[in-house]
Amino acid sequence: MSIMPNDIEARLLEAAPAGIQYRATTDDKSVVTAWCTLSSADNLLPVGRRLKDMGARLSTITVFQPKAPPAPPKPKEGDPPPPPVTFFGGIVSDGKGYEIHYHFDIDGDTLTVTAHVGTGGSIDSLTPLYRAADWPEREAMELYSLVVRNHPNPQRLFIDSGIEGAVFERLIPYSTLVNSAASKSIWEKIMAQTGAPS
Amino acid sequence: MSNFTIPVGPLHVALEEPMYFRIDVHGETVNNVTINAGHVHRGIEYLITKRNVFQNVVLTERICSLCSNSHPQAYSMAIEQIAGIKVPPRAEYLRAIADEIKRVASHLFNVGVLAHLVGFESLFMHVMEVRERMQDVKESIFGNRMDIGANTIGGVRYDIDPERIGYLRAQLDALVPDVEEIIDLYHTDNSILRRTRGIGVLSHADALDCGVVGPVARAAGVNYDVRVKAPYAAYDRLEVPVHILHDGDVWSRAMIRLMEARTAIDLIRQCLDALPDGPTVATAERPAIPPGEAIAKCEAPRGELIYYVRMTDSPKPERVKWRVPSFLNWDALGIMLKQAKVSDIAIIVNSIDPCISCTER
Repeated sequence: MSIMPNDIEARLLEAAPAGIQYRATTDDKSVVTAWCTLSSADNLLPVGRRLKDMGARLSTITVFQPKAPPAPPKPKEGDPPPPPVTFFGGIVSDGKGYEIHYHFDIDGDTLTVTAHVGTGGSIDSLTPLYRAADWPEREAMELYSLVVRNHPNPQRLFIDSGIEGAVFERLIPYSTLVNSAASKSIWEKIMAQTGAPS
Repeated sequence: MSNFTIPVGPLHVALEEPMYFRIDVHGETVNNVTINAGHVHRGIEYLITKRNVFQNVVLTERICSLCSNSHPQAYSMAIEQIAGIKVPPRAEYLRAIADEIKRVASHLFNVGVLAHLVGFESLFMHVMEVRERMQDVKESIFGNRMDIGANTIGGVRYDIDPERIGYLRAQLDALVPDVEEIIDLYHTDNSILRRTRGIGVLSHADALDCGVVGPVARAAGVNYDVRVKAPYAAYDRLEVPVHILHDGDVWSRAMIRLMEARTAIDLIRQCLDALPDGPTVATAERPAIPPGEAIAKCEAPRGELIYYVRMTDSPKPERVKWRVPSFLNWDALGIMLKQAKVSDIAIIVNSIDPCISCTER
């Protein structure tokens, strides 16, 4: 049975005065899945604090760059160009901005708080509030150019420090990904450095 | 006594998978642990966006072998939510059966390895022999011993006829006395108790702070089990007891796993008793998956597994993110290892039932 408070939307709005979009569904097993999009990413910390007071647990964080919407038809001569498509809150949806989902568990129900950050932007760390945010935020920082402000330990998590960051934002050839394990190029590289056996 | 640093891993006899621990010790006592991960990072979260929705059922099953059923299940549940697919009742029960069969085998494996690390080799071999019965069940019913390929979008890919139900019941009947004997042994044997009681303690407050899940959380008094808190498959129609202990030590984690293995047998029996007739999949065709996003959760052997899926108008997902239970449990390991003896390091690491392939993806 769901324990999501009935006034959760009002509580979230109180913590995020810039505005929220809220929706929730209940499945046929009475499990609630709620989504709350913040108008301003600056409201993340107060919302996180409010949820912490309610006993929420941070399950994980998803970061991605939503694809840009298809380009609108060219305006007729003399007409002003159409305004850019934006996310709720005004961040332009250009395919390079970040959508960040914070998935909270409230005793079985899930509340996902979403924040948008533009290219080159940054967002506050939730790690001081939720210890479970530590690894997901570190992973987000190595997969994307996203900066997480005030992270207590902004070290690489899985990807070696010798590898250029933001690996999800660029094409990595398969032979590089597998360190040439599937081809003879690593052998050729070694031979080029050490010389062929006599 | 001097301070020094011990490297454990990434390749080490006590680790089934590669992980590097830099352990600062004072004499025989652990002062600090630094975990260096990434040795089996395979970029699966990237790869999954290059495969279509249906290919990903196969890919997610290969993230990890011990919880290989939970990944495609949670992934399929998320896709079903997006597409509004209603899984037939028989398929829901069959999903629960597959889940519980995997749970018995996974828990017995971990508890068996504990006996090995304690140096009780005959018990290790006995537990693995008992577990082998579940491996036989998987091979007989699903055709595979680890990746059982049970799930598909909209239902399951297997069915059991009365003959196989009879076989499964007979195997469970034979398993029960063995599992109960093992539970009794872990309760009373001094070799086990001496090395596990009061070792690697994670307090209730620390468990809540770290947000740990599964047997690690339940052994520290956290009453959370996805099967009860956010029921899926047939679990809303089953009697699922949640086992809780309060000491938060290695022994408590092992006992939770043993009790859950015993309970899993009862859950399979409940499913077989109530197994409804009907189709095993919502549609024989490959359904169209519209744009949308969904969250799905299930209770993998190590705890809550959560999937987020975002679909656009492409047959390939725009983003799939999952967080495995081990991901949170690693952080708690630092607390468990503080002030531990060097000789207990391997036992404590094993007690979180670490899954590195799952963690790093």
